Amino acid sequence: MSDRIMTGVGRRAVLGGTMALGLGAPMVARAQAPVQLRWWSPQTAPAQREAYMFQIRTFEEANPGVRVAFEATSDEGYPAQMAAAFASGQVPSVVTHLPSFALATYWQNGLLEPMNDVINAVGPQNYYDGANRIYEITQGQYCGTGIGNSAANMMWLRRDLMQAAGVTDVPRTWDQLRDACRRMQRGGVFGAPLPYGRNSMTSLIFICFVHGAGGSIFTPDLQVNVENDAFRNALEFYKSMRELCPPGATGYSWGDSLTAFVSGATATGIYTGRVLANVAAQNPRIADHISCHRYPTISAQVPHWTFNDFPSVMIPRQAQNMAVVKRFAAHLFRPDGYIRQLHAAPGHVLPVLKTISAMPQYQENALINKYRAAVDLMSESAAAGHNLGWETTRHRPNVHAGRIIASHVLSEAVQRYVINNEPMTQVVSVTATRLAELMRA
Amino acid sequence: MSSSSLPAAPSHPSRRAATAADRAAVNPLDRGYALLGVLLIAPTVLIFCAVIIYPLVSALYLSLFSIFTPTLAGSFVGLRNYAELAGSPEFWRSLLNNLIWTVLTLTLQVVLGVLAALMLNQAILFRSLARSLILFPYFVSTVVAVLVWRWLFNDLYGILNHTMMWAGILDMPLDWLGAMPNAMVSVVLVGAWKYFPFVVIAVLARLQTIPEQLYEAATIDGAGAWGRFWDVTLPQLRDVLVVVILLRAIWDFKEFDLIYLLTGGGPIIGTQTLPLMVYKEAFGMNEMGRASAVAVAMMLVMLVFMLVYFRVLKARGEEPR
Amino acid sequence: MKRIAGRIAFNLFAWLVVFVTAFPLVWMVITSVKPQFELFRIPPTFWPEQITFEHYARLLWETPFLLYMRNSLILSTATTVVVVAVATLGAHSLVRFRYPGREKLAQLVLFTYLLPSVVLILPLYLMMVWLGVANSLLSLVIAYTTFALPYALWLLRSFMQGIPDDLENAALVDGATRMGAFFDVILPQALPGIISTSLFTFILSWNEYLYALVLVNTDAARPLTTGVMNMLISAFNIEWSLLMAASVMMSIPLIIIFAFLQKFLTRGFGAGGVKG
Repeated sequence: MSDRIMTGVGRRAVLGGTMALGLGAPMVARAQAPVQLRWWSPQTAPAQREAYMFQIRTFEEANPGVRVAFEATSDEGYPAQMAAAFASGQVPSVVTHLPSFALATYWQNGLLEPMNDVINAVGPQNYYDGANRIYEITQGQYCGTGIGNSAANMMWLRRDLMQAAGVTDVPRTWDQLRDACRRMQRGGVFGAPLPYGRNSMTSLIFICFVHGAGGSIFTPDLQVNVENDAFRNALEFYKSMRELCPPGATGYSWGDSLTAFVSGATATGIYTGRVLANVAAQNPRIADHISCHRYPTISAQVPHWTFNDFPSVMIPRQAQNMAVVKRFAAHLFRPDGYIRQLHAAPGHVLPVLKTISAMPQYQENALINKYRAAVDLMSESAAAGHNLGWETTRHRPNVHAGRIIASHVLSEAVQRYVINNEPMTQVVSVTATRLAELMRA
Repeated sequence: MSSSSLPAAPSHPSRRAATAADRAAVNPLDRGYALLGVLLIAPTVLIFCAVIIYPLVSALYLSLFSIFTPTLAGSFVGLRNYAELAGSPEFWRSLLNNLIWTVLTLTLQVVLGVLAALMLNQAILFRSLARSLILFPYFVSTVVAVLVWRWLFNDLYGILNHTMMWAGILDMPLDWLGAMPNAMVSVVLVGAWKYFPFVVIAVLARLQTIPEQLYEAATIDGAGAWGRFWDVTLPQLRDVLVVVILLRAIWDFKEFDLIYLLTGGGPIIGTQTLPLMVYKEAFGMNEMGRASAVAVAMMLVMLVFMLVYFRVLKARGEEPR
Repeated sequence: MKRIAGRIAFNLFAWLVVFVTAFPLVWMVITSVKPQFELFRIPPTFWPEQITFEHYARLLWETPFLLYMRNSLILSTATTVVVVAVATLGAHSLVRFRYPGREKLAQLVLFTYLLPSVVLILPLYLMMVWLGVANSLLSLVIAYTTFALPYALWLLRSFMQGIPDDLENAALVDGATRMGAFFDVILPQALPGIISTSLFTFILSWNEYLYALVLVNTDAARPLTTGVMNMLISAFNIEWSLLMAASVMMSIPLIIIFAFLQKFLTRGFGAGGVKG
């Protein structure tokens, strides 16, 4: 092994090499169908699908001979599915609603088509100022564009339970939050649905807590920044909340956490505006007892930090019929369809075009009207939000963020400390080492 | 060809027939037949080469590379993947998990399977319905089994927690899948539930062929129920159990779906077995070369165990047919 | 008197065991007809207070379930036909013909039957990419032969070993060709075995998960196993009633096979599932 030969071999070489070992396999001819586009998204609630179908229908009517197929992926499944798709060359034409940091990783590996044409077709002046800044990883080229904003870590409260428990003020600090949860946890209702699973939600939410402790995962020039008090305080607090979360929280991801609050099993929630639509549909008896706030931080001196995963649009470089694909991507922003998409889960995906926000068609929605204050707060928070790919305005974009989330290093840190009771110093140093490795690779 | 073959015990007569046929192979007519025989087996052999032998060799080859899954770009690294595995605690932990899972679930399957088979061999009301219901878990998809069990295990609304709380066994819902050692216990239990019917079917079929006279003779000799089981039933079941244990051990060792879907290998790597590690390396970490190395290592482990098993059986003079 | 009491006690015990074993599946059916809000009841209700089939309706009309079902049916049927046809010829050859290497081949079959899928899956994946059939039902049919063919070959070989040589010999004496004798004598005799093998192959393919997970990432070729699992991990909601309804629907082909063809299944087991 000391005399290993490092030979650079390209993709063809590895493939060809494996093939040379075997027998020549027959080529399979594929019939040429009319132009067929594939659209992937992890956002696939039935109402959203319906909006997508409308957008597809209008595009197909305007472009005879083009068929668009919608296919679901998922927040936990997309890294593996995208990897397989890129490797096989059978890529989707357009992928929407992935977090911006995932795109940065693909862009870095040369897998994406620049989105400048699409942004120009939508009209750069229609976006909120700086909405596309996060996608400009290479000067002058955009690896994707936003199709929405989201505020992933809003705190949802059950006012009726607060009242019953004698909690009068909305918690501003962690201590107040923990105290409120402790008082409201009774009669089969738990305090909070924080996720402790080995998944993307746990990583993302935990990042919010690190920022809530006044820290960050990386320094502005992208050095690992976890061996400090802020990170340790976040872990410590997260662990102390464990007893106030349902037993199964050790496996919670987005769906479980959301359902726990919506079903009434927890007194507080942590999620986007999706709560509004789900409460209305599944548990209307609490609809008048919920309110939405920015998530508490360690002290009133530490400002709120909102996780906006910047739901995006991207086009893989290998996609066929590029001109049509780009036209379709731009079509997704046409007001009639775009507003339907946003209304499918009001407050969940928020518009990136200021022109849309101003339209009466967007404003006129029962849920947006009913929870106006909540939707405004979320819009405002999301617009000022950040994520691991861009932790603060001072940070350089982090093109490794997608791989870091997919590697589950951060959710594993949570699991090691909270579930396995490993010592703090060990957890922190292992996390630091693995983050550094991922940044180097 | 031998004309005295007994359908019930095919292997011995056919072995005798083989030698007779080999002698007759000088006959030119037979050589023509041999050609036809080769022709008939040819599609099988071709498919085997294409989808089994070739991938097997490729896996060995790929394990010598470092390959980034999305781009499939790679470089030759020799045995470095293996060296890294040998020094990786995660690999050894996964191997240990794999052994724990296999031994525990296999033991449960065999014990439960034999007991259930003995029970279903007795005269009970609606016996064939009872048999169908017992066998069904084996035939439903793992996906279905996992969904159902995850719903039973659910922390807030699961019937299992509530039944146990109602019965006073628990006073708080139990975290069945998210903490150790619960997660391993749960996976083992679901594995036993899903696969014990395999043992039931095999044992039941054998039980029905045990001659009644053996039991009568034992009763005359004054054996009780326990004595009859120990002296008559168990020796008769030995052959079938030897094979069943071998098959189930191999299948349990390479089980992916059940564990992956129940716990995903978690918490952290608490229930991660080698097949899960292969998947994680290949599509989670995008290290296809290292994934192949894990797969090859896993196959080697299985081979070693099979060889040991056959060696032990041979030493005791019990070879599976 | 004591005997009868013992009998009753034993029957009760036996049925208790059966009930406990089958309970998860009973619970699956019960959950699938409960309305969503009833699931959020703490403690849970046992019998539904209100029976609804809305989940089945939603499953069929609002999700790609029918597409997955179609894919699974095509996939399992195609795999079964290909595998059983090839394996029948192969098993006949292994049992009734003598040529060098025959015994070695039979052992090889046994060995490949035991190979872990996960070893083959990465090269198979690359192979499908290279052939340009990745992401299609065809790629899954090819992949499924890796486990279905050795299994079918092994089952059929044991069945065919049970058919007396005399029958074929008699036909040959009467002037039939070997292939003629195969079609006229062996096939009818082996029919129950072929049916058993087909059922097993179908069930194996119907339930397969790992290959489908890795080789297919489009709804157009996604079978039920991965399709239904995708519904669970969606982030927007977890609808257990819907998932249980999907589980019930997914098991229906198996229930049909079980209800009408159970004797073939158990016979297949007795003949080949266990014997080396």
